[in-house]
Amino acid sequence: MSYRWDFTPVVTNAPLLAEGLVNTLKVTGVSLACGLVLGLALALMRLSRHRLASWPAGFVIEVFRTTPPLVQLFWFFFALPLIVGVEMTPFLAACVTFSIQSAAFFAEVFRAGIQSIERGQWDAARAIGMTHGQALQRIILPQAVKRMIPAFMERAIELMKTTTLVATIAYADLLFAANEVSQKSFRPLETYTVVALIYFFVIFLASQFARLLELRLARSGESTVH
Amino acid sequence: MRWDFASVFTNTDALLVGAIGTLHIFVICLVLGLSLGLVVGLGRYARTPWFRWPATAFVEFFRNTPVLVQILWFYFALPMLLPFEISPLAAASLGISLNSAAFSAEIYRGGIQSIEPGQWDGARALGMSWGQAMRRIILPQALKRMTPALTNRAIEIFKMSTLASAVAYVELLQQGKLIASLNYNPIEAYTTVAVIFFVFLWPMVQFTYLLERRLRRSE
Repeated sequence: MSYRWDFTPVVTNAPLLAEGLVNTLKVTGVSLACGLVLGLALALMRLSRHRLASWPAGFVIEVFRTTPPLVQLFWFFFALPLIVGVEMTPFLAACVTFSIQSAAFFAEVFRAGIQSIERGQWDAARAIGMTHGQALQRIILPQAVKRMIPAFMERAIELMKTTTLVATIAYADLLFAANEVSQKSFRPLETYTVVALIYFFVIFLASQFARLLELRLARSGESTVH
Repeated sequence: MRWDFASVFTNTDALLVGAIGTLHIFVICLVLGLSLGLVVGLGRYARTPWFRWPATAFVEFFRNTPVLVQILWFYFALPMLLPFEISPLAAASLGISLNSAAFSAEIYRGGIQSIEPGQWDGARALGMSWGQAMRRIILPQALKRMTPALTNRAIEIFKMSTLASAVAYVELLQQGKLIASLNYNPIEAYTTVAVIFFVFLWPMVQFTYLLERRLRRSE
């Protein structure tokens, strides 16, 4: 093959790519934090005995788990602003979409984790006079969360991969920076290869960390909830 | 704000073209992804490092990079190395299929490993070769356990097919974009697209739940 590789345009545009990576991590971090809180709320609503709480939660979880994330993102970016009459930035649209979307997945993880705790734990908590909320907060969740950590890590990694979709609505994440650099320099091969490797490096590190954590948890006798 | 779906319904034929495009790429990626995944999964289980290492590298690389990056790589970067152009369909199918192959390879591997070693010993005792034991004894049992995970993969592939719109392949979301920009009705256009995807995927999801429940009962 006679193609001559030239990585200099990629190197000179490194600050642009670095900024993109920071933006990628920003969207991931915000969505992860909001998704966890919202996911716990959704899970508790879904487990509730009141239908007024469990049905809407079930609806949100099902809809966001069974529609493609890119369709959700387009809906929140192009359609929602017209309904509520506010200006939507790509960053805001991405955070809203991925927070709710990952919340739907986290909710199922929370639910499985909470349900995996033996009934006796609830009974014992009630026997010493705890309310439902106290039992959940002091007895059930601390045990459940430990079992859920591997599933959480997996979802967090999925979330980071999903954030590349924001490039399609022109948010300056790492992939969008790659588009820009490759168009500017006419070096798509080098640019996209480097960017793919950056993603691989970051996500691989996260995966290895998750694997290590899972091993450590398995040794301490906690099973994995998926 | 007044909802007006009439402007979407006049473009039903455009949506139909999109739906066919979505199903088209879904079937290609499903077949390629799951069959290539079996090859890679068996490769990861092989005793010779000549198969095991490339298979492991393949799985690690494709599981740890975003699909959209892979699709754009195949669309914009790969043609630099090739003497011909790559169509949006080819680029998207390559990205989604290879990604699904990496994920389904892990499903196959897990399924095969879940079969008790006694089954291997039994097959060997009857004089079967490794390939025969795998085909006649191990895979039929493992496949049953893997079905829920594989249908989950199919659902993921269906959802991933929307990424093909990033390279302007004509599928449902791409047609939704077109309708929205022609009629200035993004609310109705994108809502309709979301509903269509939900209608396609919801039965598949429910079917997976059913399979999972049935499997749990029979094991």
